[in-house]
Amino acid sequence: MTERMEQFDEDLDPGEYSKLSADLRALFKTLRSVPPEVDRAVYDRIHRHFAGVKSSQGKYRRFRWAALWKVAAAAAVVIFAFSLDLTKRSERVTQRPALAEIQAADIDLNGRVDILDAFTLARQIEKTGHVESRWDMNGDGLVDRRDVDTVALAAVRLDKGVL
Amino acid sequence: MNKIAIIILTSVFVMVPVLARQSDQGEPSVRFAPLHIYVDSGSRPLAAYQFELKATDGQIKIVGVEGGQHEAFREAPYYDPAALANDKIIIAAFNTGKDLPKGRIRIATIHLQIIGETKPEYELKLTVAADADGKQIPATISYEEGE
Repeated sequence: MTERMEQFDEDLDPGEYSKLSADLRALFKTLRSVPPEVDRAVYDRIHRHFAGVKSSQGKYRRFRWAALWKVAAAAAVVIFAFSLDLTKRSERVTQRPALAEIQAADIDLNGRVDILDAFTLARQIEKTGHVESRWDMNGDGLVDRRDVDTVALAAVRLDKGVL
Repeated sequence: MNKIAIIILTSVFVMVPVLARQSDQGEPSVRFAPLHIYVDSGSRPLAAYQFELKATDGQIKIVGVEGGQHEAFREAPYYDPAALANDKIIIAAFNTGKDLPKGRIRIATIHLQIIGETKPEYELKLTVAADADGKQIPATISYEEGE
């Protein structure tokens, strides 16, 4: 036994020891009941707290739905614009004509399709305003600048062969 | 979090040597240059033209086509969109107006991407040159490489 332990053992009084034990038990003893006022106050506080959280969540959800609707509306407008072909920047036809159109584009009947066919058609439209319906290259029922563009684009097609 | 960090670090360690090796191999140089096309119709007014261009040497890609200097041909000419990113093109334009150019004028500018060190050479052929009546006229075509 060490010197220190000996000192404790020397002064140990059984009566004091039991009192100390009783005090310690009382100190750590849990409360048996909570007053109802405290209970009610805690309940009210919790209720108020979660009511606030719920309302802010609702606001966020509403905001999110509004944003989604805006995005959906914008997408619908873009799709509608594309369906109307509003993105077309110029009147000039830029689509490549089909091979059948190329053959029909020989306006001056010299056996070759070149820019002079488009030039001839353009001059004819400007001069008389009336041209043969067989020169309606795009089949829209009109012979106009779009048909001239179709002939010109047929003249510059690469698959005709270069050099 | 640790997993993400490990993935990122692993990717970096894998990618760095691969990229370093690629840069060591050296990609061919790329530059952009305009090619100005001129037609000389002499004393006759030029109302319509059509020409063909093809690269015969060097590696090029056509990236754009621009109109000419005279008002009659200022609008971008007709060309096949398939010619973009290609090394050959057919270009044509006409004007039905009265104010037509004479002499040597720039009719179009072709914007090129030139790949590699070889100086490109071109073959250029004027297939149509016509006056206001649509009649073929004698004319010459030439080009100048811009900066």
